[in-house]
Amino acid sequence: MTKTKERQHHSTFSNIFYFIGLLFKISPTLVIGEFIMGILTTLPTRLISVIGLKYIVDVVESGENLENIFYAVVLIAVILVGSKLFAWIFQEFFWNMAKEKVYYGLNKILYEKAKQLDLESYDDPEFYNSFILTIESSSDNITNLLGLVRNYVGNLISFFTIAGVMLTIDPVCLLIILTFIGIFLPLSRKRGALQMARRRDNTEYHRRSDYFQRIFYLQDYAKEVRINDIHPLLIERYNDAADDVIANQKRYHKKISAVAFLQDAGIQDLGFMFALPLYLGYCVLVKESLGAGDFVAAFNGAYSIAASINFLTVWAVAIFSERGKMIEKYREFLKSDFKIKDGEKVAPCGKPEEIRIENLSFTYPGNDKPTLKNINLTIKPYEKIALVGYNGAGKTTLTNLMLRLYDVSGGSISIGAEDIRNVTAKSHRDRFSAVFQDFQLFACSAGENVALDEKFDEEKVKTALKNSGFEKDLKKGVFTELLREFDDEGRMLSGGESQKVAIARAFYKNCPYIILDEPSANLDPIAEYNLNQAMIEAAEQKTVIFISHRLSTTVNADRIYVMENGEIIESGSHEELMKMNGTYAYMFNLQAEKYKDNK
Amino acid sequence: MRRPPRDPNLKVPVFKNIIYALKLVWQNDKRLLIGYMINGFSANIFMLYIQNILFLKVLLGILDKGSSFESYLRTLVVFLVLSVSLMGVSCFTSYIVSASTKNVLKKLNNRIFSKAITLDVECYENPEFYDKYQRATNVLAWSYYDFVCSCVSNIVSAIVSLALVIGTVTAINPVYLLFLAPVFLVFIIESFKSKQVYKRDLEMTTNNRIKAYTQRTVFLKDFSKDMRTSNIFSVLMQRFKAAIDSNVEILRKYGLKLFIFSTVSSLFSEFIPIIGTYAYAAYQFVYTNTLTVSGFSVVLSSINAVRESTMNIARNFDMLVGSALYFQNLRDFFEYEPKITSGDKMPEKFESLEFRNVTFRYPSAEKNTLENISFKIDKGETFALVGVNGAGKSTLIKLLLRFYDVTNGEILYNGINIKEYNLDAYRNSFGAVFQDYRNFAISVYENVVCHECSDEEKAIAEKALRQSGIWKKIASLPKGADTVLTREFDKNGIGLSGGENQKVSAARLFAKDFEFAVLDEPSSALDPIAEYKMYENLIEVTKNKTVLYISHRLSSAVLSDKIIVIGGGRVLEEGSHSELMAKDGKYKEMFTLQASSYNNEKEETEND
Repeated sequence: MTKTKERQHHSTFSNIFYFIGLLFKISPTLVIGEFIMGILTTLPTRLISVIGLKYIVDVVESGENLENIFYAVVLIAVILVGSKLFAWIFQEFFWNMAKEKVYYGLNKILYEKAKQLDLESYDDPEFYNSFILTIESSSDNITNLLGLVRNYVGNLISFFTIAGVMLTIDPVCLLIILTFIGIFLPLSRKRGALQMARRRDNTEYHRRSDYFQRIFYLQDYAKEVRINDIHPLLIERYNDAADDVIANQKRYHKKISAVAFLQDAGIQDLGFMFALPLYLGYCVLVKESLGAGDFVAAFNGAYSIAASINFLTVWAVAIFSERGKMIEKYREFLKSDFKIKDGEKVAPCGKPEEIRIENLSFTYPGNDKPTLKNINLTIKPYEKIALVGYNGAGKTTLTNLMLRLYDVSGGSISIGAEDIRNVTAKSHRDRFSAVFQDFQLFACSAGENVALDEKFDEEKVKTALKNSGFEKDLKKGVFTELLREFDDEGRMLSGGESQKVAIARAFYKNCPYIILDEPSANLDPIAEYNLNQAMIEAAEQKTVIFISHRLSTTVNADRIYVMENGEIIESGSHEELMKMNGTYAYMFNLQAEKYKDNK
Repeated sequence: MRRPPRDPNLKVPVFKNIIYALKLVWQNDKRLLIGYMINGFSANIFMLYIQNILFLKVLLGILDKGSSFESYLRTLVVFLVLSVSLMGVSCFTSYIVSASTKNVLKKLNNRIFSKAITLDVECYENPEFYDKYQRATNVLAWSYYDFVCSCVSNIVSAIVSLALVIGTVTAINPVYLLFLAPVFLVFIIESFKSKQVYKRDLEMTTNNRIKAYTQRTVFLKDFSKDMRTSNIFSVLMQRFKAAIDSNVEILRKYGLKLFIFSTVSSLFSEFIPIIGTYAYAAYQFVYTNTLTVSGFSVVLSSINAVRESTMNIARNFDMLVGSALYFQNLRDFFEYEPKITSGDKMPEKFESLEFRNVTFRYPSAEKNTLENISFKIDKGETFALVGVNGAGKSTLIKLLLRFYDVTNGEILYNGINIKEYNLDAYRNSFGAVFQDYRNFAISVYENVVCHECSDEEKAIAEKALRQSGIWKKIASLPKGADTVLTREFDKNGIGLSGGENQKVSAARLFAKDFEFAVLDEPSSALDPIAEYKMYENLIEVTKNKTVLYISHRLSSAVLSDKIIVIGGGRVLEEGSHSELMAKDGKYKEMFTLQASSYNNEKEETEND
């Protein structure tokens, strides 16, 4: 695969505005509220510490109209209390709730899109990583951007206000402040770059040390570590990685500390603690052009301006560009196109029809070699078809194609007279019930797990569970929650029981076709036998395609397809294949040998 | 680093645990604690007191007095030298701290590792212990050890700076202390508030878990197929929406309470101090004329310093309380005495193994998992354990390997109770392949021989890999068996499939000089032909050795010398394949079921 350089289609600002626009659409009041909050949280305190103070000092120095001080104090009190009360009201009665709603709104858009994603997208690591990042960052995007709006507005306004005040006191003060900031602030860029490089390198080393750490922290490896004398080696590897982390820390922090020293000593010490007071002192003592009030105001104003500029240039830019990248991913994701396109027709979901696969070939994206080639087969209504073969022969891939989780690279699959690409993906898949090898239970009720729908027929679920051999007593029957994902009372099931629940889905769903991938892998012999019996009865009116390693289960199939290296190498009924004495017969005999010898 | 969540329901002594934490760090690297102390003082005392208050006070004092510009300049230079050198010290300490924090991490991890391998397997399977153990390891994973140092140094230095500020204000006019005093009430209000926040967050836990779960089901490949072929997505979205709605309700419910707490907190920490100071200063300016401009500015800056120091102490103290629990758990972990203790006998060459009236009940279980199990295995025998899912087969193996000790009865190795043997030596005399086998992200060779290996050992490993049927695949890799397994952190590593991994795991057994092999479903991930070959090789390698294995596929039991059928925790039947087939019991029933389809004879099987 060619390594594509990360391209950004939109500018950072375009992305930020896009996202704020999105937030605005979901909750306009939230965005407007953030603007007001931005102004109210920064400006009042800074204004009081600069203008309020200066005014009072000036009045005192002049000695006239002293009672005006009281009016000033009342004004300060009103501004302070008013802004704070507004902030708390906004925070506790509005902001928290609005954030939940925005989270829902944004994620809903995202999830709806993700659900339609082509399955092959999951196999493309580059896409997949950015997909995960997109989803995982959506909550941070909201919080960060709202905070950014708030602080950006606040700092921008307070910067201009305070700078204006400084100008009226003495433009030279402002000049001194801006000069020092101008000289030393760009070092932040260097500092940020070093920190990023350090983090990047550390991630690499940490991944190693964390891995070995996990072996000792987690339960998974407990038995293996105890029975084999492998821990000295693992500890040694951990220590190597940990030493690399330490060396990396030292290497970068030497530089980071030096830059930090230069910058902080430059702005804070040389600028604000020396140059500015030097000039102010000169004006007060020698030139006598400024009073004590100006001195204090300029002194406090310097810190306020520094804080604003630091935020506006260093912080905001860093967060902007980081979030900009995330939002870019979000935007691109929502725009991404699917390969599996809906056909125009709606597939019927009635009686089974003939499934015909012609000259099918399939290559996974990014692979050179085809996983399937030259597949031709016809499945008649009501037939029970078995797919057998070694691991990696392409059996699961073939069923994935039938479900149109992927589209064929060549050839076609049709049901009845219709190519499956001519119907909508949903209506096509609706006529199948599929139990995958890597089936999953969901943290929902037992009934929902069987029906895979929020509405279900209680009796039908019970029958389906009975047919699949599920015998566990459930406290609340089909309404019992499964898994402990978020219900501590949830029912945990063993591998075998879980598989039975998954199989019950096939019994439940009202559809003409069933696909079963290794349905009995987790079951013991008795359960496996019972399952086979139940399946034969329940699926009488359906077409069934199943994959199995255990050839004992394939004996009763109407037809067996043996696959090897992506091709069908043998097909026929059990008897025919045994007579043929090929791969199937070889495999079957291997497994049957022990049973036969001892009969 | 993340803030330790504070759970008021889990109370542990704070002071004792923090002292323990500090000692732990001190023992491992003194520089970390010293470094944080210096940084704390530099931030709290220099920045907050010297720079913001003392500096302003001195300068305004000079201006007030109308001294010469020269003496003003001299003062500035003194402050410049002082502040630049302090800045230098603080930057240097940051550098020291950054390396020594990782050094402490490494040393503490080594301590945890060596303790972890002595832990009973039971601990891992006991949710309560495991929770605590996870919290103990979070001290490292989330850098709480680092956190505690920084919190303590912050608190100590903030207290000192608070004292300095109060001293300064008192010197100007003690009345102002009246307005500053309410700031300290923040401690109490904030603790009430954080209790409410905690309660609120607790109510939202389930909803937040649902939110996280929905997210996971959407992006994990595991769920992708079911999601596309069924209607489950709408079920999940509905739950997601309900969780959000319920969160909004909860937030609304707590809104008023939190608003009141926040407002009261602002009243004491901002409204009273700031407005009070301004008002009293105004009074002084207008009526008593006892306040200088410089005094006024210093008092105003002091309010800020007092607020910041107090908040700083409150915040850091809160975090210390939160982290105390984690250190308590770490300490408990270090002090945990394993129940499975080592004896001192070294195991001799294997002769026999006997389970005598063994009964076993998992801790806190209500029923016995195994009941009165007795059987004997002699040298060279092949033994199969057979039974339905959940019959107790894997438990029996855990007892044999002393992952658990029996509740009643005894297990004898060469006629001696296995508790009398040296634990490591005893376990090491077994070769085992587990159902939940694991491989490690080290080279294939190392995975097989379990340490860095010489050329001689490489030859042994190669043979073992051949026997397990994976050598051809491994040899075809550019770096052969020196390739690291998994792509966890090595781009040139190799990700193997389930079956292939199982083969590497089996090779570990083949390479080991064992007396007794324990095989727990060693072929579950293999296709029929690979399974057949695996068994052939197992028979080959274990020739003349003793083997105990568990398998669902009874075809493999046929070859064993003796079969034990377990059901409901008891031995149901025992004997060779032909003996058991003659008996007409459970074994026959199971075997006939499996065989029926292979033999292609329609047999009548009674199901009872």
